[in-house]
Amino acid sequence: MAKKSIRIFIADDNCLLLEGLVSMLGEQEDFVVVGTAPNGSKALEQIKDLQPEVALIDIGMPDKDGLEVTQILHQDLPQVKVIILGLVDLTDEIMACIEAGANGYVLKESSFDHLVETIRSVHRNEAFCSPRMAASLFSRIADLTSESKIQIPVNFVKLTGRELDVISLIDEGLSNKEIAKRLFIETQTVKNHIHNILDKLQLHNRFEAVEYARERKLLKKKS
Amino acid sequence: MSKINVMFSSRPKLLSEVMRNLIERQPDMKVVGEVIDPIELIFALRMTPVDVVIITPLKVDGVPRICGQLFKEHPQLRVLILTGESEAIYIYQMGTQRKCIERPSEKLILDVIRESFYPSTG
Repeated sequence: MAKKSIRIFIADDNCLLLEGLVSMLGEQEDFVVVGTAPNGSKALEQIKDLQPEVALIDIGMPDKDGLEVTQILHQDLPQVKVIILGLVDLTDEIMACIEAGANGYVLKESSFDHLVETIRSVHRNEAFCSPRMAASLFSRIADLTSESKIQIPVNFVKLTGRELDVISLIDEGLSNKEIAKRLFIETQTVKNHIHNILDKLQLHNRFEAVEYARERKLLKKKS
Repeated sequence: MSKINVMFSSRPKLLSEVMRNLIERQPDMKVVGEVIDPIELIFALRMTPVDVVIITPLKVDGVPRICGQLFKEHPQLRVLILTGESEAIYIYQMGTQRKCIERPSEKLILDVIRESFYPSTG
């Protein structure tokens, strides 16, 4: 039985590239190019009519650019998987495409084989990007995390053994001074631990910290 | 009939591969080489006979200096320069004014190459 072909749509204002991609992608036995468009508006119209499985969208088209087209497709036709054809390896641009709903990003500086692999991967619901792009993305995520723009879910926050000791002693009703004495540390060190606990758990006071630990059965048994 | 020998210096890579594929599909044309930087054309053309070079992208303000050097050594050469996003193609030939064709298609590119090589048939 013949293998089902992946239905592809291409939108690019570069006529030469567009025609060339139609020829070359059409030569792949598992691809069929169902339509093309030279700008964003026509791309949207045609994609709505043709319902391709994968749409290759140039980021720098006139009329509506690739980002705008991607956003609209993601909203109106989420089943269409979008691969952006980009010119530059800029992390901000790649992130913007991902946020707009793109399923893949291929630089025009990439090889044709890379584009083919990306189309197949995206069609299989897999992400496919170059090691360089992956490095950019990890770097960006690290930046966002350090800027606290991304909140790490509290379920993944790990408290140290000493922090759990402090919470357990708060639960016993001890003051900072009494906890310091019990743990043979300075009172200021206890305050520092409490500050760190509240910061990690994004809580406002010591009692919320005790509640958090109790719910997760983290409290130590009273000595 | 001898084939038209074509050499590339084109970027981005995807466009370069598309152009290469287009030329290779033509029975009367042959890709004889590809360089990354246009300046490498000067050295590559000293080693390989070439009829047409296709360069992209380049800012096309006046005749690019590279053409002067290439024509000095290869007066019969035709140089096709595609602007960055292929909005236009400029055709340079020694002793003639440059010609500009906007938004070229595959067919137009092939016609331009053939006409510049076989002017009597164009």
